[in-house]
Amino acid sequence: MIEVKDVTKKFGRKPVLKGVSFTANKGEITCLIGINGVGKTTILNAIMNLTPLNSGEILIDGERINKHSYEKIAFIPDAITMLPNMKISDAMRFMADYYQCWNQKRADEMIGFFKLNPNDRISTLSKGNTAKVNMLLGLAMDVNYILMDEPFSGIDIFSREQIADVFTSHLVEDRGVIITTHEINDIEHLIDKAVLLNEGVVLKEFNAEEIRESEGKSVIDVMREVYLK
Amino acid sequence: MMRYLKLTNFELSRFFKIYLVLIGVTFVMQLLGVVFTSNKYLSAIKELLESGMTQEEALKQWGPFSFYNVTSSFWFFAPVALCAASLIIYVLFIWYRDWFGKNTFAYRLLMLPTARINVYFAKATAIFLMVLGLISLQIAFLPIESHLLQSIVPAPYLEEQGINQMISSFDSLRILYPTTFIEYLTHYGVGLMAVLVVFTGVLFERCFRWKGILLGVLFAGISLIVFFLPVIIQEFVLVQFFYPTELFFLMVLTGLIVMTGSILMSNYLLNKKIRV
Repeated sequence: MIEVKDVTKKFGRKPVLKGVSFTANKGEITCLIGINGVGKTTILNAIMNLTPLNSGEILIDGERINKHSYEKIAFIPDAITMLPNMKISDAMRFMADYYQCWNQKRADEMIGFFKLNPNDRISTLSKGNTAKVNMLLGLAMDVNYILMDEPFSGIDIFSREQIADVFTSHLVEDRGVIITTHEINDIEHLIDKAVLLNEGVVLKEFNAEEIRESEGKSVIDVMREVYLK
Repeated sequence: MMRYLKLTNFELSRFFKIYLVLIGVTFVMQLLGVVFTSNKYLSAIKELLESGMTQEEALKQWGPFSFYNVTSSFWFFAPVALCAASLIIYVLFIWYRDWFGKNTFAYRLLMLPTARINVYFAKATAIFLMVLGLISLQIAFLPIESHLLQSIVPAPYLEEQGINQMISSFDSLRILYPTTFIEYLTHYGVGLMAVLVVFTGVLFERCFRWKGILLGVLFAGISLIVFFLPVIIQEFVLVQFFYPTELFFLMVLTGLIVMTGSILMSNYLLNKKIRV
């Protein structure tokens, strides 16, 4: 389980996260929802120890993040983080070199799934294909948790469909996923848990399945209630 | 350890193309330097001979041509300065390219399943190896350049020099090519210490941005004071108290303290304060 406990973060004097707490379980897709600038990316960066916190604590399976955690949790940022002059195959080799959890078989499978050419250089890829490679580099790791930051941001409808298909495939399986988005439509029906954020505060955390079954409401319905009240 | 070595190899390969260009430019410019300076000398000699002077008289007027004439020329010094400047700039660039490059590679480096200080060590090692590599190649170029010189300048006009004489005839090379172990320790130890301190300064900036620049400068200032503390004491507190050997060993000690401080501070910053 990933536990985010009473996390606060300021950039300069501006508070970005004001006592944010939530949990994300293995086998569930947890979606952090909110408009741009509410601190979604900051939360993911904080989970990966890529930004220091002012207070609070983040635990992954009961432990603070350390060098071994990066074999258990993968982060797929909103932009690719491999060098532009690398070929896709170079990027995969880099991952295989450093990560014991790298699953080459799964990577090859995803190359086929996304119809990518391993000999293409990252700098020459379209935005959609860059997003797919970014996705591949995270999903081909045998990790317990995957963090995805705005995976649908700025890509065409066909690439969005292909990426959305990932969530229903065995590529996600029983892993814990935390995804941030402000474009909920593509994955609304796939979400297990939603965390609604506004101005650095969790407005509501709820189980999407339960709300669907007990109240007959979709995640978007709840968002309307919370954000527009 | 394996990941540190892989990272070092990776860092070296990232600079390799520019490195090859620097090596090529150095070699070609120095060869051109040999050709141009020796031809200039021979033209001057020829003029004197044509004006009726004997070989001895011409030699007396211009003196024999030695490799020093090449090493003291722009053609020899410019590429050495270019390499030195490139590596000095690269000490900063090796970090900033990971943050400001097209794709923020810093994300990937900081999420590797290895101690983050290995990234710091790998970058420092890469810089150190690149410096040693350039120096080694410069040594390898000298006999080739000397051979070319011998083929251009006739023996009576040429004052032959060994490698050691060539190096000692060029002040800048003397810094790069220490002749004793102590000199080696001093020159390269101070160089490595400077690189580590600058790296720590860069990390301060990457952690705290504008405030970090001030903290980085402060850290560098403190490091400088700590390193020169024995000299400061010798000059102002206990005047002429230490023997030269004692002073040397005290500076080795303060140098080690500065390096250890830089590594510990960088480790803290990388683990607790860094942001992308």
